[in-house]
Amino acid sequence: MTVVAQSGQPFIDWEWVLTHGDDMWEATLEHATLTAIALGVGLVLSMILALVALQWRRTYSPITWFTGILYTIPSLALFTFLVPVFGLSLTTAEIALVSYTLLILIRNIVAGVDAVPDHLTEASRGMGMTNRQTFVSVQLPLALPAIIAGIRIAAVTTIGLVTVTVLVGQGGYGVFILRGIRRQFLTEALVGTVLSVLLAVVVDAALLGVERWATPWATRKASS
Amino acid sequence: MPADPMILLSDLSKVFQGTTTPAVDGLSLSVREGETVVLVGPSGCGKTTTLKMINRLIEPTSGSITVAGNEVTQMEPYELRRGIGYVIQQIGLFPHRSIRDNIATVPSLLGWGKSTISARVDELADMVDIDPDMLDRYPAELSGGQRQRVGVARALAADPPVLLMDEPFGAVDPIVRARLQQELKDLQARLNKTIVLVTHDIDEAILLGDRIAILNVGGILEQYETPEETLRDPANPFVAGFLGSDRGIKRLSLIPISTTDLVPGPVVAPDAPIHEVRTVALEYGVDWVAVVEDEALLGWKAVADVSDSGDAARPGFEPRPFATTLSPSDSLKEALDAVVTSHTSVAAVVDGDRYLGMLTMDAISKEIIQ
Repeated sequence: MTVVAQSGQPFIDWEWVLTHGDDMWEATLEHATLTAIALGVGLVLSMILALVALQWRRTYSPITWFTGILYTIPSLALFTFLVPVFGLSLTTAEIALVSYTLLILIRNIVAGVDAVPDHLTEASRGMGMTNRQTFVSVQLPLALPAIIAGIRIAAVTTIGLVTVTVLVGQGGYGVFILRGIRRQFLTEALVGTVLSVLLAVVVDAALLGVERWATPWATRKASS
Repeated sequence: MPADPMILLSDLSKVFQGTTTPAVDGLSLSVREGETVVLVGPSGCGKTTTLKMINRLIEPTSGSITVAGNEVTQMEPYELRRGIGYVIQQIGLFPHRSIRDNIATVPSLLGWGKSTISARVDELADMVDIDPDMLDRYPAELSGGQRQRVGVARALAADPPVLLMDEPFGAVDPIVRARLQQELKDLQARLNKTIVLVTHDIDEAILLGDRIAILNVGGILEQYETPEETLRDPANPFVAGFLGSDRGIKRLSLIPISTTDLVPGPVVAPDAPIHEVRTVALEYGVDWVAVVEDEALLGWKAVADVSDSGDAARPGFEPRPFATTLSPSDSLKEALDAVVTSHTSVAAVVDGDRYLGMLTMDAISKEIIQ
């Protein structure tokens, strides 16, 4: 059975799908790389900004305000400002992608650390841990579930956004989508979309696995 | 005679920022080595604040604190704390670390070798009665009582001379609490640590303290004495009120039976003739006699049981056992309980099989009034 679209072509051209496996794999690698760089850089920056916010409480509000503004700027508009400076480049794409991860990650790190009960930080200080030891070996590990939850949201958001970077010469699956739209070839646009969604689902599940693996204490409870 | 105090608080005050009334006001207190001192008082009396100033979780506003002769404000806080065991009400085990790693916290901070730490953890688990199988579990997998024991093991890990305990049994149910209190007493008898323990529970203070510091709101020290002396002679109405209206009975729990004089009681041999039974009972003004054979207490029988018979040992009228017999190490409070719950209104005291004598209500109340 063939579903016929408006233009007269079949709804899905399976032959195109089957013959473009290599392209899809390449696009997947590019998409994953763009996402990984954005998350990696975003996480480092967020950790630094979260540390600043935790150390100097008064900076938390301006930091979330600033990253909140970044978060709300439409990506198209952001490209308009960045392209004149960085051109149609990876840098332009990543600046945009990283910008969108910051708010989510910083909020989750700070909230995760704040949620560590006072009696645990008191116990760790009372045992003779320095402030740094308390942060690294008590507060941060206990904030891990919240931090990974933030990374999962940021990852899923970023994977969706990467498609837009096709406008600055990158794009991953965005290449399929844009080309499909331009050529009015539904199959290609659909493949790009479906793969993007699949990647998001797979990465989300993988990160959930990482969380389970990294925080075994959070799931094991008294059996009696 | 008294050696240098292990902990010495001198004119210690704390005024929290944004308040004008001090939480602790000019408190001076010395704690001898190997002594358990309990800080007790109503909420707002500054007992926890005082405790936390000793390990500098709270910085004093004025005054001085020395631990083993060292002024604590001259030490790095983290170094000071590694040398002082600390147990808190919420226990505060790290949920992301195994029981083994929790106990190993301070030794790890001190940089002990792996095998030394491992051996020490096993030793401590044994000491606080934690099954070795539990060492690889997480705190959430343990019961409240087990967690509390682990908290004590963690505090003792580096064998600190001083132990600070902030309401250590506040988070467990009363049955577990009673057991843990006894365990702490037994542990302390072996380890001989210098312990400062905070509680709002006067009974806990009486049970655990070698001396009790009773604090009033604002960190005023009202009385600092042994439990027995405090109960016998409260310094003022506040202390008396805090001890409660049953302080006479509370004090009985601190006095062992062995320190009081026992009476022989109305005692007869199993084959005593009826006239002797009557005479002995009459002598003591009671309507029963205790039956003793070769120093062993066989029980008691009512005079009415033997009055119609010439033979006190007639079958069917064997002596009835005393519901409770006490040993010399039991307290007068237990003796009192035996007196008021027995048919005979006395507490029979035995040492193993040997009958020692009896305690009457009169003898117990003499102790209270003394």
